[in-house]
Amino acid sequence: MIRVILPAHLSTLAREKGELEVEVGEPVTQRAILDALEERYPTLRGTIRDRVTWRRRPYVRFFACGRDLSLESPDAPLPEAITTGAEPFLVIGAIAGG
Amino acid sequence: MAASATNFTNEEMLRYSRHLIMPEVALEGQQKLKAARVLCIGAGGLGSPVALYLAAAGVGTLGIVDFDVVDSSNLQRQIIHGTADVGRPKVESAAEKIRALNPFVRVRTFDARLSSDNALDIFRDFDIIVDGADNFATRYLANDAAALSGKPYVYASVFRFEGQATVFDAGNGPCYRCLYPEPPPPGMVPSCAEGGILGVLPGLLGVIQATETIKLVLGSGDSLLGRLLLVDALGMRFRELALRKDPDCPLCGKSPTIHGLIDYGEFCGIRGEETPNEAVVPEVTPESLKRELDEGRKLVLLDVREPREREICGLPGLFIPLGDLAERVHELDAADDTVVYCKSGVRSARAVTFLRGVGYRKVRNLSGGIDGWAARVDPSMPRH
Repeated sequence: MIRVILPAHLSTLAREKGELEVEVGEPVTQRAILDALEERYPTLRGTIRDRVTWRRRPYVRFFACGRDLSLESPDAPLPEAITTGAEPFLVIGAIAGG
Repeated sequence: MAASATNFTNEEMLRYSRHLIMPEVALEGQQKLKAARVLCIGAGGLGSPVALYLAAAGVGTLGIVDFDVVDSSNLQRQIIHGTADVGRPKVESAAEKIRALNPFVRVRTFDARLSSDNALDIFRDFDIIVDGADNFATRYLANDAAALSGKPYVYASVFRFEGQATVFDAGNGPCYRCLYPEPPPPGMVPSCAEGGILGVLPGLLGVIQATETIKLVLGSGDSLLGRLLLVDALGMRFRELALRKDPDCPLCGKSPTIHGLIDYGEFCGIRGEETPNEAVVPEVTPESLKRELDEGRKLVLLDVREPREREICGLPGLFIPLGDLAERVHELDAADDTVVYCKSGVRSARAVTFLRGVGYRKVRNLSGGIDGWAARVDPSMPRH
């Protein structure tokens, strides 16, 4: 299982609290994780990726193992720590509250 | 930042004595603090602890820019204001508290909305910009104005139990646009007024901003420049993520296209929309809805707020929280004239967009939400 952490407003949309887990087949990539997330939580469609181009929204970023993977290919294999569930795949979103 | 040849009175020496005995601050560092000029954008949740701690630490000149007045709903977190301040300009209330805390601080107040017309002028007299704004437009404006002025920009933002903090400095590392090149479209990310905010969270993040500001003034320690600190107050977890300068950043990249301040309202209102059609959300005002109901028009009212909000107030009709809407959409009849509402009209606009996208054409959004209804139609209704 792949561990995923969403920003609070997307967790609310998914009706989940805290960390999520999704099943993803090999190879584990950004695209595979996001496809699995959107399949399980249809309300997330369009919030992380554009529904037409499937490109990452500019106000969302992806991190794994402390590294920013946002500019890497969505089909690049993710670090082993993500595939083994040792580390979560982080979706970070812009917030503006102050 | 050069320290001026500031002489401290005996009273100041005693006041700052716990700093003066630390080699990392000492007299030289305290002089730097006294010579420092720091601008706080906003005297709200973040700005309150920032201003209070910087004043206590002995920052010589503190600027505060805020156009707002103190509201009762601010007091759960904006600790620089008190009950007696409700209705007063925030800058006036904040300046009073700062002077009471430390009369050696020079306070400069700007009772104005930070805008493209005044930002560069206001920033000119300050060394460091600390952002405690509560909206994307002001954050992009502050980032751009700080970068164009060549000044570090100490950033934090909060929502519900989560916070983000970093230091941006376009001359030496990433800027806000390197992290988020464009803001979310209106309605995509709820504000604290919509989604709530744990009262102590801006305190936590504001103290981090104050800490980073003091370190920048002292020239000591490792700043958060190039590192994004994520705070999860519910799990009490802190994560650190590496940030990189974006070579394609339109503001500080290799070939910048932004050379001056822009219209940030337009930037935050237009960018990010998927298609023009999606942006069109049919609306009804509270007054018009009341009229239609009084005339006996058959309407279905759909509340898409959370259960805790419905406990406070609501209108007769259906209740499906936004997050459940996709699964429970079959409970709605596409033939019904439906008016969707939430607290202020932001989440319900998203619900209307979703419903129209799956074929429900007779849905409208209650502009201003239940809060607008309470303010303009039924003042007896409790507000949240």
